[in-house]
Amino acid sequence: MNKTMTNEIERFDLSARVQHVIMFTTFLLLSFTGWGLKYAYQEPASAWIRFWGGAKMAGIIHRVAGITMLIDFIYHQFYLLNLARKRDLSLSLVPMPKDVVDFFHNMMYFFGLRKEKPYFGKFNYMQKFDYWAVYWGMFIIGTSGFFLAFPVLISNLFPTWTLQWVWDVLFTMHSDEALLAIVFILIFHFYNEHLKPDVFPMNWMWLTGKMSMEQLKHHHPAEYDRMTGKGKK
Amino acid sequence: MRSWLNIVILLLVFMHVPIPAVVAATDSAVCLGCHGAMEGAAKVDQALYSKSVHGAFDCVNCHVSPKGAQHQGLTSGKADKAVADLAAQIAQKSTKDPIAQASCTGCHPEAYETYKKSVHGQNVIVKRSSDGPVCTNCHGSPHLIQPKTSKDSQVNHFNVVKSCGVCHEEKVMAEKYGFSPLVMERYIESFHGRKLKIGHAGAPSCVNCHGSHDIKSRKDPASTVSGENKIKTCGQCHSGANAKFVAAITHQPLHPIAHWSELGLIVLTMSVFAFICMHVLLDIFADIRDRLFRKGGSHE
Repeated sequence: MNKTMTNEIERFDLSARVQHVIMFTTFLLLSFTGWGLKYAYQEPASAWIRFWGGAKMAGIIHRVAGITMLIDFIYHQFYLLNLARKRDLSLSLVPMPKDVVDFFHNMMYFFGLRKEKPYFGKFNYMQKFDYWAVYWGMFIIGTSGFFLAFPVLISNLFPTWTLQWVWDVLFTMHSDEALLAIVFILIFHFYNEHLKPDVFPMNWMWLTGKMSMEQLKHHHPAEYDRMTGKGKK
Repeated sequence: MRSWLNIVILLLVFMHVPIPAVVAATDSAVCLGCHGAMEGAAKVDQALYSKSVHGAFDCVNCHVSPKGAQHQGLTSGKADKAVADLAAQIAQKSTKDPIAQASCTGCHPEAYETYKKSVHGQNVIVKRSSDGPVCTNCHGSPHLIQPKTSKDSQVNHFNVVKSCGVCHEEKVMAEKYGFSPLVMERYIESFHGRKLKIGHAGAPSCVNCHGSHDIKSRKDPASTVSGENKIKTCGQCHSGANAKFVAAITHQPLHPIAHWSELGLIVLTMSVFAFICMHVLLDIFADIRDRLFRKGGSHE
């Protein structure tokens, strides 16, 4: 790690960047088409669905995008395994007790009780939240979506006494958690990676994968210190 | 070739329409002279009537002998016995002109025979109830009737749910006849209902599963949605449907487990929503504060 200091460091390799592009493309397609069905009784829904080529086409887009996202997600697990095999897997995204401390420090900073921003590591707690939200989404929305796509097959998996409510639960899981995911991306992710004055109009890292050392020092001081060998302040 | 075929079909269609024995001394223009200009229930909109599938008919084809002195001489004679008998049976339901209502059966005998055996027909004709639909309740006023394929038809694939809802939404009806009080609501919320609403031609409306003229009570073993029949009915679209699969749709009120898990998910969504909004807002305010009062402050 203590090679000659460069101006930039790579945070996301090409594979990770491609995975992200597939993830957000399918996410948007799923949101757009699913929205029409969730709010079918709100007036613009029918016109919106016509824009996507009608209900049947919207359904096909939704399924294809869903399966693509699922493959992307599974691919990511192999990507992580591969990194682990190469002993290159850093655990920098694993939630740690320090994240709780950082959260409280950040709150104190927001309220003016601390002068310094938290001593963030490679990924701060908001970014970890972003990352793990995908797992939550894949678990809740992906599973229920998969079940809803194959109702005949899946009904055999459930015991008879659950059948009066399980489909309602699956439907709610799918549609309410999708709403949560959309709201989360629209507010939290968009603010942090697009609207924040520091990064407006967007954080270019999704394309370049690179961050300047200057930025790193400012936003991820712990990681900067670790890389430059300074250790803890 | 094509036009020949059309002419043959037209001839067949016209030959099928029994023309009243006594040729009417009057055509619809005479009646519409008054009724076209009237207000309220007696009004017949001439433009809409002539565009309806029955627009070429004389009024007296159905309104065989209108009552009242003002209609003197405006008649096509006496209704035939079958129509008159049926009119007497449905008088409870069809109060305005039961003869006119019963006249539908003259040209649509198959629909009538099927309907007569249905739960609706039995209720109206045999039990002489004022509940349950006669032709015009579902198809709309015969003066405006459009082919089923028209989007203006009340029984069009995309409109029929609303037509069924007129009665099946009613709590009183649900209690009286023992169907789920939330049958409409639960259908409307379902995937089937939503897909139909956004224009999916393949999504089932009420009649795709329950039938229309031949509809039976769910408790009747002959119903398309009772017992083994339900498996066959669902299987029309969902190949491989079995007893476990068809248990999914009952139109019964939401099960408590589903209700509470829905509530739990809403609470979760709202809490995350509140949390991230708060976080973003605090972030913005802290940033503004830094830029105004801590120039350079925590920035390098």
